[in-house]
Amino acid sequence: MSSNYETIIGLEIHVQLATHSKAFCGDDARFGGAPNTQVSAISLGHPGTLPRLNRRQVEFAARLGLALDCAINLVSTFDRKNYFYADLPKGYQITQDRQPICVGGHIKIDTAEGTKTICLHHIHMEEDAGKSMHDADPHHSLIDLNRAGVPLLEIVTEPDLRSADEVDALMSAMRQLVRYLDISDGNMEEGSMRCDCNVSVRKQGDTHLNNRCEIKNVNSMRFARRAIEYEVQRQIGIMEAGGTVKQQTLNFDPETGITTPLRSKEDAHDYRYFPEPDLPPVVITPQQLEQIRTELPPLPWALRARLRTQYALPEYDTQLLTEEKAVAQFFLALAQCTTQYKAAANLMINKILPWCQEQKVAIEQFPVAHAALASFIELIDTGQVSNSNAYQRIFPQLIEQPERTPLAIAQDLNLLQTADEDFLESIVDAVIAKNPDKVAAYRKGKKGLLGFFVGEVMRQSKGKAEPKTTNALLIKLLEKQ
Amino acid sequence: MIDENLISRLEELARLELSPEEKKALLHELQNILALVEKMEELDTTGVEPLIYINENLSALREDVIAHQVSREDALRNAPDSDGTFFKVPKVIDLK
Repeated sequence: MSSNYETIIGLEIHVQLATHSKAFCGDDARFGGAPNTQVSAISLGHPGTLPRLNRRQVEFAARLGLALDCAINLVSTFDRKNYFYADLPKGYQITQDRQPICVGGHIKIDTAEGTKTICLHHIHMEEDAGKSMHDADPHHSLIDLNRAGVPLLEIVTEPDLRSADEVDALMSAMRQLVRYLDISDGNMEEGSMRCDCNVSVRKQGDTHLNNRCEIKNVNSMRFARRAIEYEVQRQIGIMEAGGTVKQQTLNFDPETGITTPLRSKEDAHDYRYFPEPDLPPVVITPQQLEQIRTELPPLPWALRARLRTQYALPEYDTQLLTEEKAVAQFFLALAQCTTQYKAAANLMINKILPWCQEQKVAIEQFPVAHAALASFIELIDTGQVSNSNAYQRIFPQLIEQPERTPLAIAQDLNLLQTADEDFLESIVDAVIAKNPDKVAAYRKGKKGLLGFFVGEVMRQSKGKAEPKTTNALLIKLLEKQ
Repeated sequence: MIDENLISRLEELARLELSPEEKKALLHELQNILALVEKMEELDTTGVEPLIYINENLSALREDVIAHQVSREDALRNAPDSDGTFFKVPKVIDLK
């Protein structure tokens, strides 16, 4: 039944900006302060106060808009969105309705069917509301206004998404981007990124859009997925029964896993937008815009392309190494010190990143210098130390004593491989003498046993046998009847 | 068209409670205002930019620094009800 229907989803993504102060006043905008301590006459909505726009909110908006190929409105304006709710002291939210700062734009996401472009309708600046708690007191709702007035960007997509998977991919891509741009921490648990999902379904092949339902304030990807999956089935159920889906705003309850109407009255949805008289138009000059453009950091997709083409890394590696900007920068710095790019990628993926994760250390604080890591890679590449000895024994030592060279550590631990034929021959002889039946089998044509002999020699030499010489020597002595 | 239904709707949106007399007076006033606007609409304003802002000032931007916060005690001082930490409001029953 479901397969006869197509799911259509558009998102409104709210990104809380990492400014010091709020959008229109100097209150601390940080998350998690003691309730009602980050407030002022302006955020409390006292009469006679006037908003003044935070310069950084405009810069951050332009930064995101440029990164997403939006057209930037050099003149943008603010409007009032009017509604009464206890956590909105002024009785209206300052937002941008008629002339938002960014228009259009697009972002590419990775889906099971390959790369897909999601178009954006616009991005606008606005302010957050305070926080209401409904279950702490039986007869009252409790209000904390620390969040009232915190700067937000709202990214509104076109209805281009077709599944919960694509929503997931888009949210991940956006989260990564805002972190690259240093405009938000993108933390969904703390509410720095939330999304409203507009969901509708239609029969496969239909070209018109049916009524959509808006699922509000989904604050984790897991909930978003469940909410969408539930809502799609609900709407298909209505259509299969011959009904029509009503356009409404829904709340998703993670406890029950179902969506319920958030607003009892359909017509309560009347925000009576009008121009905000307290804030004149915001102007960005072409020079300022150019400045912001030149200061954009390399973006995740550009870095992935660079890692693929310039350093010939496979897709999997490029994904992992560009997840965070700092990780990509670490790789680029390391790639300045070595030409063994794939070995450098392996070292990061298999050792450095897991170590940082275990120790809960940011990659910038990784103790070993890039140059030392490069000589570590060289030790393996030139066959001076076996791969396993390098990874398992030298690497931990190097982290303990980052001021020492990997070579000195290898010497200390007596791990330098040797191609010394006398040394190797004595071990090879011993191995051959100890395994007469395997030697006989080998000589009868079971050449695959060579690997077994190499392994034995490696074990006996504690990894110090240089593999190429060992191989040659083994073949020579095994073939000798 | 301003009629009694619209007045009731505005009353609800503005969270006001009007007496029948007030409603009647408001209906009359709003009809007058609308008539004035309708009269003005007779004017041909093709090609005239709407006047939204009275002067031509642009937004004076503020530097992103923390300033002018008030203490929680001061913040809660004008609240009709509080528990010393939060504003207390009649229970907002929005869900279910």
